Amino acid sequence: MLSQPDIAALLITLKLAATTTLILLLVGTPLAWWLATTRSKVRSAIEAVIALPLVLPPTVLGFYLLLAFSPDGPIGATTAALGLPSMAFSFWGLVLGSAIYSLPFVVQPLQNSFSSLGRMPLEVAATLGAGPLDRFASVVLPLSKMGYLTAAVLGFAHTLGEFGVVLMIGGNIPGETQVLSIAIYDHVEALEYSQAHWLAAGLLLCSFLVLLMIYSANRRFYLMKTA
Amino acid sequence: MIEAALQLSKSDFKLDACFSVPGRGVTAVFGPSGCGKTTLLRAIAGLEPDTRGSLSVNAEQWLGAQGCRAVEERRVGVVFQNPSLFPHLTVEENLLYGRRRLRKVTKLIETKELIASLEIEKLLLRYPEGLSGGEKQRVALGRALLAEPKLLLMDEPLSALDQSSREKLMLLLESFLQEIDIPVFYVTHSSEEVARLADNLVLLADGAVTDHGSIQDVLGAVDGELSRSDTAFSVIEGQIATKQLPGLISVDCGTGIVFQVPDSTSMSGKRYQPGSGVRLRIRARDVSLCLEQPKQSSILNILPAVIAELAAEPYNGSRVVKLDMAGKQLLSKISEYSVQQLELRAGQSVFAQIKSAALI
Repeated sequence: MLSQPDIAALLITLKLAATTTLILLLVGTPLAWWLATTRSKVRSAIEAVIALPLVLPPTVLGFYLLLAFSPDGPIGATTAALGLPSMAFSFWGLVLGSAIYSLPFVVQPLQNSFSSLGRMPLEVAATLGAGPLDRFASVVLPLSKMGYLTAAVLGFAHTLGEFGVVLMIGGNIPGETQVLSIAIYDHVEALEYSQAHWLAAGLLLCSFLVLLMIYSANRRFYLMKTA
Repeated sequence: MIEAALQLSKSDFKLDACFSVPGRGVTAVFGPSGCGKTTLLRAIAGLEPDTRGSLSVNAEQWLGAQGCRAVEERRVGVVFQNPSLFPHLTVEENLLYGRRRLRKVTKLIETKELIASLEIEKLLLRYPEGLSGGEKQRVALGRALLAEPKLLLMDEPLSALDQSSREKLMLLLESFLQEIDIPVFYVTHSSEEVARLADNLVLLADGAVTDHGSIQDVLGAVDGELSRSDTAFSVIEGQIATKQLPGLISVDCGTGIVFQVPDSTSMSGKRYQPGSGVRLRIRARDVSLCLEQPKQSSILNILPAVIAELAAEPYNGSRVVKLDMAGKQLLSKISEYSVQQLELRAGQSVFAQIKSAALI
């Protein structure tokens, strides 16, 4: 069964995924809204930057983050100036890395969802006296439920499975920065296949259930819409 | 008064509309497809952020030197061409969306009464998905009105409907738009809708206003764009007469002018009570002129008239003639050849043969 460090790794992983997802939903909402509605010429460039983690090896991202976290790097210098502990090899460093790494998985579903609304419902709401924030809360949010569910689930699931970035910036400190994927790697290295199995199969099942949930919710939503 | 001087440039289209119309009654914005009617309406609503110029609605400045008032501050009701109900809200929640956001409900419009007159009581708890096109448009109209707008804008609200729901909603609009004390802008390309609903007319062609004013003035302008076009028509108001001939409906337009219209009530499903007010739409090309009263003609309506005005110049081989029938104005479009042959001139007495008049 699961050993003490394995349970710690599981808890850290869940905490990391939940924190990252929450932050990404908060940051991703205005970003996705801007991308879906702007007429600015820099939109394509911003979209490309957000999509970078989709194509880059996670180690590349991790490498640059590690440099940034170093005492001479921009983030390291800032945290030092503010009297905060270094982000490198810390939980919050992992959160930042995961947030960047999973950003496209949250922003893209939200952006698609916002774009598919079209301008009509918002224009109608405006003519009925609803200001910008009111329109967002009373029209955009309820009509984007599926987008938010998809974004949250993908962001969460993607963070669960992260390996390269975490290894580069978080290291492998049991109880602090050791996450599931790295614990599995450790077990395999140590030829502890049965423990690796428990974790790997658990992660597999968990990911499958999460994806099954979105696809069936999507289907229900689609059926409801066409009924 | 509603005074507008609006300019808007888009990549493939330019709107430059200047007009003023009374601040009450129904103003039809009329013109062919693609002439910018919808864009004009959107500019008035404030939905086109690049609009320049000025706009004031009953002494409130919506656009001008002091800047542009935001859409949500204009209190403008809009009924779009395609029903645009919020799919996540019930009919009732849709209806109250704007009303709940009013700072002060003046109760100018009573919710219950409005819901009853729009015949949507039974739909209140349903979601928009299952509603028919006509039902959706009635809810959209109710939603706009319950927000107590200072101006109601309707963008071809009937065009997405099938024939029978269109007729039903039209009948509702006819009685409704006259009753409410809110100025209405009604975009349409249908001369029938203009004739049935409008008090004022703004004519639009290629993004520019070619004429504007009361419907009688605009329709009666012999040299105007509308008179030159194939759709030139006149509108005459009257009442259903008490005395009827078999198979015909008689419309008394006062001062001895009585029109006979074939009774097609069974087709349109309308019932006419004697004394009820109606409008007749008569196409200019259906009116021909004779110097003497023709006898034994199949044409039902042959009425004495005086030529009030002739168009200054012929257009495409025909000329528009404005007739005065005891104070009622009627347009006739006849060939330039006939004008020369009959030596028609202003002040002359003639007989107008009206091939068909539509009771609308």
